[in-house]
Amino acid sequence: MYCIETSELSYQYSRQGNELNRVNLRVKEGSIYGFLGPNGAGKTTTLKLILGLLKKQQGQIKVFGEDFDPHRLSVLSKIGSLIESPSLYSQLTATENLSVWQKLYSCPKTRIQEVLELVGLGQTGAKKAGQFSLGMKQRLGIATALLHSPSVLVLDEPTNGLDPSGMVEMRELLKRLNKEHGITILISSHLLSEIEKLVTEVGIINQGKILFEGSLGELMQRQRSAGGIRLDTNNNAAAIERLIAQGLDARQEQDKIVLPLLARSEIAQLNRELVQHELDVYEISTVESDLESIFMTLTHL
Amino acid sequence: MTTFVASYQSEWLKTKRSLAAWLVVLGGFFIPFILFWARVLYPDKLRKEVVSPTYWEGILGQSWQFMAIFMLPMGLVLATSLLTQMEFRNNTWKQLHTTPQSYTTIFLAKLGVLLTMLFQFFVLFNLGMYLSGILPPLVRGISLPKQAFPWEVYLKTSSHFWINCLPIVGFQYLVSLQFRNFLVPLGAGIGLLLASLIGLEWEHGHWLPYSYCPYYFFSLRGAKLGTLAVDVFFKWALGYFVGFTLLSYFFYVLKKDKS
Repeated sequence: MYCIETSELSYQYSRQGNELNRVNLRVKEGSIYGFLGPNGAGKTTTLKLILGLLKKQQGQIKVFGEDFDPHRLSVLSKIGSLIESPSLYSQLTATENLSVWQKLYSCPKTRIQEVLELVGLGQTGAKKAGQFSLGMKQRLGIATALLHSPSVLVLDEPTNGLDPSGMVEMRELLKRLNKEHGITILISSHLLSEIEKLVTEVGIINQGKILFEGSLGELMQRQRSAGGIRLDTNNNAAAIERLIAQGLDARQEQDKIVLPLLARSEIAQLNRELVQHELDVYEISTVESDLESIFMTLTHL
Repeated sequence: MTTFVASYQSEWLKTKRSLAAWLVVLGGFFIPFILFWARVLYPDKLRKEVVSPTYWEGILGQSWQFMAIFMLPMGLVLATSLLTQMEFRNNTWKQLHTTPQSYTTIFLAKLGVLLTMLFQFFVLFNLGMYLSGILPPLVRGISLPKQAFPWEVYLKTSSHFWINCLPIVGFQYLVSLQFRNFLVPLGAGIGLLLASLIGLEWEHGHWLPYSYCPYYFFSLRGAKLGTLAVDVFFKWALGYFVGFTLLSYFFYVLKKDKS
């Protein structure tokens, strides 16, 4: 069952162009879904639509199988969210901030200390939230999102502004929440490297369109298949002609010839072929495409 | 689903240590505090006043003189805008709008807190007036006022002022809910207040929604400004308040971006 599902979701802020164009997103229950895309790709708009912060224009949003609009209140009671920067009242302490939300969710008061301990803010005492560091504010934001024990967390770039150790801490916390508490997490980011160690499912969006959706395994598969062979000869133009004649997809890239990935025996055969036609081969190497370059390729189409 | 009571409690908690909450306390005691010292520093004058059969009415008139024309409307412009804009300032609208409560509940709970704070201000101001009347004779060792404290007059005056300043609450709430920039409600409030003060002697001055507190104050002094009787001001004030509140509600509910 999908925890969050959008179909043909489109949105435009002004009459010029679509901010979102037929976005279909499927977040499986129990997964950590990484929603990736460069800045301005439409991630925040999608998440705001899922949370009802923007008025839906076209398409459908379902959360736990229920249509969002007619079941807004029951759906929101199951979602915890942190959109962009954390929402906190700067003149109140961490406990008071959580009390504001505790009353609205009608959850037990004991839950406040529980979530504060969970995010490592149990000892902040009388310190006002306005005096917190950015990392502490982010953690208080996560505590707010967790307060009512939601089934799904929607987090928009929660590691923005965190230092590397803060990012690692946040990642570990989210993994723990997913594994130990079974919370489904939808997390957006513009950096694949930041969340590739965390997510199980990935959706990539650019210019309001979904370019890829699938498991991290499928993306890795694409990584492997996106790899290739690099060749350098004394006459690359003649070599390319020769290779194309043999039915290979050869092209020149920065003074080198690039071919799709081949089996070891095929590479040896190809080398013999070129030498027999009096072409000197200076280099044969394999090119491995990392996830980051796939992401870049997808988002720069 | 969150009930109105839970939402109200949550909204009330947000006012803790807020600038608006301090403004209510300081605003409530500011003029009584000054008048307290004015009486303490001039004991001869005080000796004559305490035997007057209208000692408390004198205090009431003096206190409202400074409060009604400028301080109360200006304080309301500031406090209402500060309190409503708290969500913009702290970036919390998006969190509030993802809680399981209807927009109507949020709207009414916020308005309820504003009206409660206004009530709180009147309680503190009345307490301040009483203390500024009773403490100076005690400090100076002068006999206490002969006249019994006319609580009915104080209550009636305060409730009239409360109704007369409702349009200010309604309009400031409307503007503050719509604009992120604090200067917009502040500028609009100051502009309307000045326009209302300038228009007091205009035959249609009662059309200006911030004019009812000064009008009521002048009517207490027996001066008649404008063309309407005192009890008609209340109807205009209530009408404006209801109108502004309804407008505010529709603009708020229909807002496309609630983040």
